[in-house]
Amino acid sequence: MNEDEISNGKNIHNEDNVRNEEITHNENIIETEVALGTVHPAALEPYRLRLFVEDEIVKDAEITIGVNHRGVERIMEGLPVEKANALTEKICGICSNAHIWNSCLTAEKALGIDIPERANYIRIIMEELERLHSHFLYLGHGCEVLAHETFSMRAFSIRETVMELLRMIGGNRVQYGASIIGGVRPRCELDSNRIIKILEGMDIVEKKLNDFADRFVSDPIVMNRITGVGKISSKDALKLEVTGPTLRATGVKKDLRFKMKEYEPFDFNMITLSDGDVKDNILMRVLEIPEAISIIRQAVKNLPNGPIVDRSWEMIDSPTVHNYIEVPRGTLYHSYALEDGRVRGSVIRTPSMSNIGAMQLACIGNHLTDAQLCIVQCDPCFTCTDRAIEIIKL
Amino acid sequence: MITILSFKSILAILATLIIAFIISIFIPGIERKYIHGRIQQRIGPPLFSPGLMAPIKFFFKENLKPNSPLPKLYKSLPVISFIVIFLILLFIIPQFYIYGSLASVIAIVGLLKVEEIAYVLMGSLSKSVMSTGMSFPDKIKGAKHLNVKSSFIEDISSSRALRLIIFGSFPLYLALFVPVSTVGSVYLSDILSYQISHGPILFSVSGIIGAIVFFIGYMILLNEYPFAILKTKADVIEGPYMEYSSKYRAINYINRGFLIFVLGSLFSLMFLGYPSNIFSWKFIINVLVALIFPVLMAILSAFSPIFTNKQFYPVILVSSIFGVLAILLGLLI
Repeated sequence: MNEDEISNGKNIHNEDNVRNEEITHNENIIETEVALGTVHPAALEPYRLRLFVEDEIVKDAEITIGVNHRGVERIMEGLPVEKANALTEKICGICSNAHIWNSCLTAEKALGIDIPERANYIRIIMEELERLHSHFLYLGHGCEVLAHETFSMRAFSIRETVMELLRMIGGNRVQYGASIIGGVRPRCELDSNRIIKILEGMDIVEKKLNDFADRFVSDPIVMNRITGVGKISSKDALKLEVTGPTLRATGVKKDLRFKMKEYEPFDFNMITLSDGDVKDNILMRVLEIPEAISIIRQAVKNLPNGPIVDRSWEMIDSPTVHNYIEVPRGTLYHSYALEDGRVRGSVIRTPSMSNIGAMQLACIGNHLTDAQLCIVQCDPCFTCTDRAIEIIKL
Repeated sequence: MITILSFKSILAILATLIIAFIISIFIPGIERKYIHGRIQQRIGPPLFSPGLMAPIKFFFKENLKPNSPLPKLYKSLPVISFIVIFLILLFIIPQFYIYGSLASVIAIVGLLKVEEIAYVLMGSLSKSVMSTGMSFPDKIKGAKHLNVKSSFIEDISSSRALRLIIFGSFPLYLALFVPVSTVGSVYLSDILSYQISHGPILFSVSGIIGAIVFFIGYMILLNEYPFAILKTKADVIEGPYMEYSSKYRAINYINRGFLIFVLGSLFSLMFLGYPSNIFSWKFIINVLVALIFPVLMAILSAFSPIFTNKQFYPVILVSSIFGVLAILLGLLI
């Protein structure tokens, strides 16, 4: 055993001691553990939440996922890339379009395909519609956890318009299958009737959102209830690698859409707020919705003519290609290599993977009743995180 | 010497009890269908569904043994609750006033306390698999805290029910003593006679303040949003009722509607002087008041989020202060 190993061993030993001391210390301060889940009515999806409480105030929180593990990364291994792309859409029921879009972008990057401009616009419309429905779902679920059934119902009611538009374009309310390698599916073509319906839908959504937002912000009970709850500082958010609207609600200006070439033709604003609490997270989504509507209107208005799919590409082998996109809940990462038209070494990282730390942190110091709200404010999607990741036995 | 009720009085009591019970069955449906449904721009459940069809459905379901250290006591609590509510209604029927001490505010407060204690017992005796009973390895890699004392989520409900007994139900009891301070008697017969000769207590300053405080206390006792800390969906789910199934769950459903009616009826007697007597036209007013209360409660609950300590304690404190003020005004004026 050399000196380094000995010193490393000592370090490990010391770390163990420190950890044991921490545990002993924590046991002194923590009164009770309240375990919620894996099945709980306040949670949209199954996950285990351990809350360590003292007089109903959360002192520490621990989230455990893994219940919905499907091993999509492993299943993708060896599949033809077209099939693998279709499979990625099944990862999530909310940002299904984002997954297949990013997977197609990864393949297009690997194969050096430039898709037609019209296809890119349709993809952007789909993605922004998905952002709308995800944000309305967030508002609806947030209000449900807050036990404000009326606001929750209103949010879901507005969302319905968006869902119908998605069904009109994609033929389905959850799995649209819009993106394919080289463009979008022919059935997702936007004719003049569809364009009119999209524009009408956006007007309805905008009007209803304004009413909703006015009522929400002017409700003193609701504002008192959510202000200062689940606060995350920008410093903590950066330290925990938080992404998406949850990060921007803490005041950090980071939106990957401003770096994506797909969004270059569009003019929109990056919304940031400063407090990082439940109030700011909810307002963040409310303020992001008009920006998404603006992008959709621009895309529809300036929709270029031409084909929507380029089928003239050839399959080649490629080393691992990485691609990041900004989805409704944060940054989505896909990467894989191609070999004989088949996927190799697939890695998928969803935004909730990065945000779990923030969810745990947000609970601390808040009332037990607010714990679920603190998690919901980070817009979790544990199921898609679970499905994608590969669980390694240690 | 025990006073015997006349046949007519017995008939009046029985008829009042039966009609009150039938009306109470519709109250949850009215709340959900006509108030929450309309406000939330949705169809809502059928009128009969929450108060009538749901209990009937549960009555014919298989009864599962509750996960409880004292299952028999746990199962008996809804029945005890029902008896308590039944007795409160019985004591406020005018034909029963001949049994002076039973038909008094003290007796009603005592019975309501039994109802509250039932929540504490239900919470402490329910041990559902929703929390620690669910086998799940917590000693996962990276778990921060090991060997921490685990709590069933109903235990939290139980401790919250205890807090409600200690201070949460102050507003209701203070409001009940506003007519007592005005009339100078704890007997319901005296309160009724006073209002027949002087007009309803509600139309005095102390009466108005008392009515508002009563309404807040009413919502707290009924565990309705925003005061539903015993059964908050975000943490304790159904709270004390978690392990009830079959007929015991059905009784819980019935109890809620019945308690809503009885408290409304009690208000009508204490603040308006309209008792629940089937042989008097005043019974219609009594029923209307008993129906207006849940309607108001449903409107408020539809527009309110759940309160935590930060909102709950100030509401109790302020309403209790107003309750004391109303009693003082009743004594002075």
